[in-house]
Amino acid sequence: MKLWIETLAVAQRIVIELFRRRRSLVFWSIFPISVLLLNGFILAERAQLSMDQAFESAAPTTLVGAALFFSCLGGSVATVVAEREQQTLKRLFISPLSGTAYFLGIFLAHCFIGLGQTLLVYAIASFWGAQFNGAIWLGGVIILLSIIAYVGVGFVLGTQLAKRTEDVNALVAAFGVPLLILGGTFLPASLFPDTLLNLAEFNPIYHMNEALLQVSANGDGLTEIELHFWFLSVFALVMIVAGWLSYRRMIQVERRL
Amino acid sequence: MLHIENLCKSYGNRPVLQNLSLHIAPGDVYALLGPNGAGKTTTINIICNLLKPDRGSVRINGLPVSEQTKRLIGIAPQENLLYKVLSCQENLRFFGQLYGLRGRLLEQRVQQCLEAVNLLDRSKSPVETLSGGMQRRMNIAVALVHQPKLVVMDEPTTGLDIEARYEIWELIRQLQRQGITVLLTTHLLDEAERLATCIGILKQGQIAAEGSLATLRQQLPAQEVLLVQSPEPEKAIERGRAQGFIPRRYGSDLAFWLPEHLELKDIIERFDGIELESIGRHPVRLEHIYLEVTQDRECSSGFF
Repeated sequence: MKLWIETLAVAQRIVIELFRRRRSLVFWSIFPISVLLLNGFILAERAQLSMDQAFESAAPTTLVGAALFFSCLGGSVATVVAEREQQTLKRLFISPLSGTAYFLGIFLAHCFIGLGQTLLVYAIASFWGAQFNGAIWLGGVIILLSIIAYVGVGFVLGTQLAKRTEDVNALVAAFGVPLLILGGTFLPASLFPDTLLNLAEFNPIYHMNEALLQVSANGDGLTEIELHFWFLSVFALVMIVAGWLSYRRMIQVERRL
Repeated sequence: MLHIENLCKSYGNRPVLQNLSLHIAPGDVYALLGPNGAGKTTTINIICNLLKPDRGSVRINGLPVSEQTKRLIGIAPQENLLYKVLSCQENLRFFGQLYGLRGRLLEQRVQQCLEAVNLLDRSKSPVETLSGGMQRRMNIAVALVHQPKLVVMDEPTTGLDIEARYEIWELIRQLQRQGITVLLTTHLLDEAERLATCIGILKQGQIAAEGSLATLRQQLPAQEVLLVQSPEPEKAIERGRAQGFIPRRYGSDLAFWLPEHLELKDIIERFDGIELESIGRHPVRLEHIYLEVTQDRECSSGFF
């Protein structure tokens, strides 16, 4: 109960802050809309697909590859860095807040943002005739695993590498953009040469994209996406552990008034 | 309320606390004074369970410091550690939740704290729109939201104008009237003089002097200090010494402790033949006691 109350308090606080500032929310809305529209129209034109097929292919990668990447990974890095900059982390250390509740609170807040982005992306895709063809629960699990993985990575980067707000953009761009391209977010992985495809198989974003794409666009089940699904699950688990360890380390280093 | 026994802490080879012991009774306002680096913040960090001591023990309300004792303490750190875009109400609500408050009790505490720090009319204002003094009061309100038994205030009025200081001082007096124990660190000695029921002066990681202002004064061989400005300080010191006055130098200021009460004209007569620019007699203040304790002298005064 205590854990749940603390988790909810942290999540609520982050969401209120985001709504107050608005700017991040606006960017996190504009970005996936523009990527979705560009991806959709390019696929329709160049791959000679109907609009509904093009948007069915574009929506999953736009969501997990682009939208969630910036909101959940960039957002959680920014949350931790902002706490450090305005020194509220110290106040959290003084309080009885547990590290688990803090992590879960950030995760929950970004789930909320991720849910909003999912609705936004699929609402626009459905306007162009796209449908979600697979099991919605499986799509939901993939999206949740992606959010967990992103928040975990965000924790690692935010606690270990990004010291100031200016570092966030540089870090996200340096780590993120190559991984997004290699993950098939902007260009379908089916167009990759074999060497690049071999490399992409080590990229978690590739597995997120492929898993959701196959479920959403092709209506595949768990058996068909088994490899992607398990890669993603293991990666999410590793990131939770890494995020937790990073948080513990940060506490040891920064627990001073 | 707070019992610290033989606390030791070193950073590498540098000892910061060396057998520090202090006891604060319930309802006391204890001012912990000392120069920078004397160990005040380290002590607070240990009380808050943010640092582990090398040796010694800290007990709050009879319990050894742990995650559990965090609920007994309210901390108002030196900086205003608040969420700037959130309103006063939202900040208090958030921190209250972290201390396990919920529902009606939480709302009640939020209102009471805002009232206590006189910010009820700004309850919905984002913290970033408040003045420096108001933010400092909010910083204290957050420390009070969970009704702690011990409130630790780290330099609560540093950087504030005099009006804002008076507001914080009144707030501390209110806490004292409510029976809340306060541990206060400050560099403003008049603040300690006004508020503290007990004063502890830290020097090199130990309490070098402790007691109420009256007790500390009694330990001195004088109740009055003579402040002198003279172009011939060495002559003045020699003459003062010959008269039984105890000379002290505070920077470029020259002072004498007066072992007995003397009329000013008698004092002036005793400095006859020495050019004096100004001379004034004052009761011993905390700053004189503090300097007596903290300044290194070739020959120790032995008063403390």
